[in-house]
Amino acid sequence: MGDRVDAVFDALADPSRRYLVERLTELGFSTPTELAGELPMTRQAVTKHLALLEHAGLVTGTREGRKTVYRPELDALGDASRWLERVGAQWDERLAALGRHVTVRQSRAPG
Amino acid sequence: MEIVREIVLPVSPAEAWEAVTEPERLEEWFANDVELDARPGGRGFFRWDDGDVRHAVVEIAVAPERLVLRWDDDGVVELELAEHPDGTRVHVRETSPQWGLALELHACAAWAIA
Repeated sequence: MGDRVDAVFDALADPSRRYLVERLTELGFSTPTELAGELPMTRQAVTKHLALLEHAGLVTGTREGRKTVYRPELDALGDASRWLERVGAQWDERLAALGRHVTVRQSRAPG
Repeated sequence: MEIVREIVLPVSPAEAWEAVTEPERLEEWFANDVELDARPGGRGFFRWDDGDVRHAVVEIAVAPERLVLRWDDDGVVELELAEHPDGTRVHVRETSPQWGLALELHACAAWAIA
């Protein structure tokens, strides 16, 4: 089921990181210095959160001269919703198997 | 965010309860290897042939009505059994508090680029 999806959920478990993803989505792109200006957080802390978000595939950082510019990766969030569909499909399969299992067992029961 | 499914099994609630709590029965439909102590605080271990492994703790177990498992990765599975004219209705609900956030952000992102 993917480490990638786990990484996405872990990354979004933190409110500061959720804020960073939301803010990057609104702005289109930004830098750790700009983002730190909007949060009660140091640039170093923002950089650390962005690195974790980048590892989860939620943002991408690009070196532009002396600064790193971050952009949101919207497809990664789509992975999470696709995973939801997959878990739904898993339950469809499991319950169908449960229905077969119970029915077969019952038909074999004596009497 | 939650996933909800239902099935009606042509057996009594007591028999349906066995099918959803006894490891050797769960191995027939839920996972390939199952260990489960279906009592509050009991542990569950589930392995699938595709390599997936999940651990859970039993939060609630009221035979033959309600079983709630919490996955170690924070999701919750709730099974409710109730008498039905054709046997037993099994109601499944799987929730995870973190899905909501991911989807909310996704919706927000989709809106932002629209």
